[in-house]
Formats: sequence, structure tokens, C-alpha cells
Amino acid sequence: MPIIAVDAMGGDLGPGEAVRGVAQVSLDTDIECLLVGDEQRIQAVLEQVPYNPERIEILHCREQIGMDDDPHEAIRTRKDASLLVGVRAVAEGRADAMVSAGNTGACILACAKHFTLLPGIKRAALASVFPRYTEYPGQDALALLLDAGATVRCEPAELVQFALMGSAYARRISKVPSPRVGLLNMGREEGKGGEVLAETHRRLKQLPILNFVGNVEGNELVRGRADVIVCEGMLGNVALKLFEGVSEVLTEVARAAAERRLMWRVGLRLLSQGIEKVQALTDYSQYGGSPILGFQQLFIKCHGRSEARAVANAVKVAAKAVRDRVPAEIADALGGHA
Amino acid sequence: MSLMRRKHPARAPLPPLLCRWDLDKTYLRSEFDTLRQLWRTARETGADKIEVPGVADVIKGLRSAADRRERPVAIHFISASPPQIGKAIRDKLALDGVPYDGIVFKDQLQHIARGRFKHLREHVGFKLAELLRGRQGSAPGTRELLFGDDWESDPLTYSLYADIVAGRLPPDRLAPILTRIGVDPLAVPAVLALAEEVGGAEGVQRIFINLERRTPLATFQLFGPRLVPAFNYFQTAIVLAADGLLDSEDVARVARTLLDRSGFTPRRLDNSLADLLRRNLVSLDAARALSDPLRTDGLLPAATRRRGQWLERVRTRMRRLRRRAVPESPQTGPLDYDAILDRFRPAKHAAADAGAAS
Repeated sequence: MPIIAVDAMGGDLGPGEAVRGVAQVSLDTDIECLLVGDEQRIQAVLEQVPYNPERIEILHCREQIGMDDDPHEAIRTRKDASLLVGVRAVAEGRADAMVSAGNTGACILACAKHFTLLPGIKRAALASVFPRYTEYPGQDALALLLDAGATVRCEPAELVQFALMGSAYARRISKVPSPRVGLLNMGREEGKGGEVLAETHRRLKQLPILNFVGNVEGNELVRGRADVIVCEGMLGNVALKLFEGVSEVLTEVARAAAERRLMWRVGLRLLSQGIEKVQALTDYSQYGGSPILGFQQLFIKCHGRSEARAVANAVKVAAKAVRDRVPAEIADALGGHA
Repeated sequence: MSLMRRKHPARAPLPPLLCRWDLDKTYLRSEFDTLRQLWRTARETGADKIEVPGVADVIKGLRSAADRRERPVAIHFISASPPQIGKAIRDKLALDGVPYDGIVFKDQLQHIARGRFKHLREHVGFKLAELLRGRQGSAPGTRELLFGDDWESDPLTYSLYADIVAGRLPPDRLAPILTRIGVDPLAVPAVLALAEEVGGAEGVQRIFINLERRTPLATFQLFGPRLVPAFNYFQTAIVLAADGLLDSEDVARVARTLLDRSGFTPRRLDNSLADLLRRNLVSLDAARALSDPLRTDGLLPAATRRRGQWLERVRTRMRRLRRRAVPESPQTGPLDYDAILDRFRPAKHAAADAGAAS
């Protein structure tokens, strides 16, 4: 059974949601969890909910890294922080993967400090999933985008590695036999986007193990033209934040409209089932978390505002990645490329 | 050196031990949430019935440990199931090799014959009366262990009984509680009379509740430290051993059954032990004394010798020392039954369905 370390203290919502998520996992699955954090606070939450103690171990630590803390400073000074203790537990083989909703920068730095890069990997990538249009029943409603912010600027060789890592992850987790890989760019033409992207396009096209579909423009992200989108960290981060922003604004506009006119309220009521489906599609709690790829060890990063359901789903994704030997799949893909 | 042997004072004989067990969901993995399951349960033979993992070894261990201490012990079952399934139950206990001294079933036919159907599901009055009757015939000073589950009213029934035996619930305080619970009015006078006869001496040592439904632990806080919610029978065995009622070999037998026949792993058992420590149900020393032989036998994971682990242990110990100590004797004062009934049987519910189980 996979053992998943969970940062109980990370995230905007404190230990309550992470612990409740783990408690739910302990009842529903055979996954064993290593809850890392303040033992007394964790136990206090556990006693309020149904749980199975046989599948929960607690690793006590005194410190935590806040969402607004400077990641470099926090990693340097708080050796006993739950995030670092958990990452070390995975690095030492006490757990198979780590899940955290904590400070993203600190998560990436903690992995860089204690995890081992896969052979040949230059930089790790923070992946993220986003909803997209599906073309056939059963198709994964989520596409994978990487990098989402771990590496601000990249070289062509690094972007090629991101493509290989993303493709391997999608093969294992989304069960797509030959994931379509696209390069996020400002136009479909090969030479668009400057030297780095043009060179990346040229290299990706020459890789027979990749199902490369060429450049993908911003408006094609949600149309489902590719299962894996490759881009530099800054571009990926901007694209994902744009999704979130648009989604939040639309919700607020709908709410404001409902308050202004009775007819609009009735209309929204009539559309409520459809709106719920759209909300479900963009609900991050459904997919739980996204991986940091490129290490021999696995790390799943949850949204900072993750509630119990999101944490539970992130733990399940981590367990699935362990069972499906995602790092080995990535290593094989990279080995084949080399 | 003196050749004279120091004369040890004769050890005082231990008081008799009386263990009373519920059957469904405590001993047996009964499924009767639907009519179909109820019908299937009624038709099962002894061989069809499945026990909760480890329970038979706990009962055998209680008997063996008492024998080793030359302590009189009796094991009784009290079930709210009808006597018509008695043969299957007795067959099952025989198949499991469980030694017992008595078994009582609830005569549901008398309620059906009188058309009092709502009393079919009211078990507090029945169980309380049977517990009190059983106490009547026991030797003075008898200590009791009660075993139930979190499906019906066992925590409430057993706590009421323990407080009656301890003399903390005289009939004038007990009567309104029974009325509020919705106990059959015809049965109340008998329960009160029995309560008057047996009350006066501390008797119930522990109440174990098998968390078959995984009810949150906080639910049981109102019942005090005498009541021990346990997630599996390994936890029950550990607490019994820490109380001196089982030996390490008995705990090992329970652990082995869970490992061999119920899909447990040494790690899952170890996590169960750690859970007891966090809940202060056993002391760190007792846990270590009990777990060391289990680790040697491979029933628990071997203690790792990774660098720095000793520091973690010291930290853990320091942290635990700061917390409240494990109660030496888990006896409690009178429970706040008004609060318990407010929580488990709100007035609206009691009025609407006085006979329903909690």
C-alpha cells in the first residue's frame, strides 16, 4: 500500500481541512497516510470526525511555513517545519509521496533541497491541470500544463524535457495512450514566439516518441487541442491565473445580476443545473492537486484554499502516481530520448 | 548474607472478573440494516456467521489470563436478538472455541403478542435488567468488563449500569432517566427494584465500545474515561493488557489473527497502538513493554535504528509528559445524563419515537 505524507499545517485553512481529508481517505481507501504537523492539533481534529487509525500515522513537528512567508528564508531557518519534515520523510523512504497545500515557492524549494532529480533532468516543473473541452465520452476533462511557475525562463532543452515529463504523466494518470503535446505560443506557425520557442518547436517535432501537435494558441487551451501544454513558467502561471480570474469574475457578475433584476434571477435559476456542471468542471477540489515533476520522488501540490475533499483527492492522485510508477515512466521516456 | 529467606506476604486473591458481551456488531459482524439482511441473518447457521476479527482471541485471552492468575472469571453474552437464533449463535461460539458461562436473548414474542411493536427496538430496559440480574448472583467485589458497540445504546446502557452498581444512580434519579429514554413502562419497576438491590459498590472497571460505525471519538467524551472506544480488537487487547487483564502472549494471539486472517499489516497494528497513546489510553511505558515482544516476533514493525530516531522518541516522551497522565483508575464521578440524553436522545426524538435506538 502506498504511504502518502500529508502536510497537515500547510494551506490557507490550517490543519482542519487537511486532517479531515486524510480521515476521509482512511475510511474510503487502502492508502496509508503520514500526517505531518502538530500532533495535538491533528489529534484534536481527528477526534471530531470518523477516521480509521490503522491507516494514519502522525509525524510530529513544531513549526510551519505560512503562505505569506518568504520561501527562501523559511526553508533556510525552519528546519522543523511540517513541509520540510514531510519532504525529508519521503526522501528517506518513510513515505512514497508528499501532498501539501502550503506555500508554493517553499514546496518547490523543499523538493529541490531534499529530493533527487531524475537522471538527465535539468530543472523540475510545476504542473497544473485545467478544464478543457472534451471530444468524446470518457476523455479526461482536464489537460496538463507545465511549467506553471517553477522556472520563470527556460531553454529549449528544458522545455523538451517538460514535454517528455508531461507526456509520461498523462500516459499514466490520464490513461491517454499517446497524449497530444502542444507548445503554448502566440501563433501556429513554427517560427513564432522568438528563438527559444522556435528552437523548441523544431526539437519537439523531431521526437518520434512524442505526439506533438505543434503550437497551441491561448484560445485553443480550453478547446482541447492538446492533452499536455508546454510553456515557460511565467507564461504558464499567467495563463492559469487568468483562468482563475475569469472564473471568479463570471461568478461575481452572475451574482450581481441576480441581485439586480428578478428576471435575471429567474433566468439563472433556470440555468442552475448547467451552471453547476460548469462550476464542477472548474472546481479544483475535484482534481485535488498537481505534481511537481522531474524528481525521483513525487510531490503533489494542492491549491492553497483546498478543503478536505480536495486534499483527499490529491492524496488519491499521489497514490495513483506511486502505484503507476510515474517517476520510472518519466525516467524511461527521458532515457529513450537520450 | 542471611540464610533466612525473606517471607513474602501472601498475595491477596484477586476479585472475580465478570465479562459481559453484546453479540451483534460486537462479537458478530451482523448486517441487518435492511429487511433482506435481517431475513438473511435470521436464516444463517453458525457456520455462516462471521465474527469481528480478533474478538474470539480476546475472550479466550481473558479466560486464560484469569486462569494464570487463579482468578475466577465468568463470560456472559446479552443479546437483543430473539432466542430463535440461539442455536446458530451457540454453534458459532462452539466453532470459535469461545468459552462462555451464559447467554441471554430478548424475548421479542411477548411484545408482538401484546401488540407493543415500538418496544421491539427498545433495548435499554431489557439489557439493563439482564445486567442487573447477572450482578445479583455474583460474588461481592466482583469486577466487571462490559463490551458493546456504537450502533445502538450500549454506551448509554452500560454507563447507566456502571453508575447504578457504583451507587451513584439511586432509583429516584434513575426513574426519570428511564422514562426519558422510553423504556417500556411495564419494565421500569422491575429495573428500579433490581437497581436498589445491587447498588452500592464500585464494580465496572471498563466499558469497551467497538467502533463498528467509526463514530467520532468526541461523541463519547460525555461518557468519561471509563468508556474506551476501540477501532479494533488489537486496541481492546492492548488496553486490557495495560490494565493487567491480559498478558503479552494473549495480545500476540490477537495480533496474529488480525495479520493472518483479516488483512492487517504490522504497520496498521502499530498505527493502532500509536492512536491509543495519543488518546492517553495507555502509558508510554506500558505500550513499550507490550510492544517490544510483538516487534521481536515480527507482529509489529521492527524498531528502526535510523540516526536521529532516538531524538524523536525523547521528544515524543517529553511531549507526552507535559500532557495529562493516564488515569490509574478510570472510575468517574456520576455522568451528566441530562447532557448525554440531550445529545443522543433529544426530547423531540424521544417524544416521536420513544422506543427507537439511539
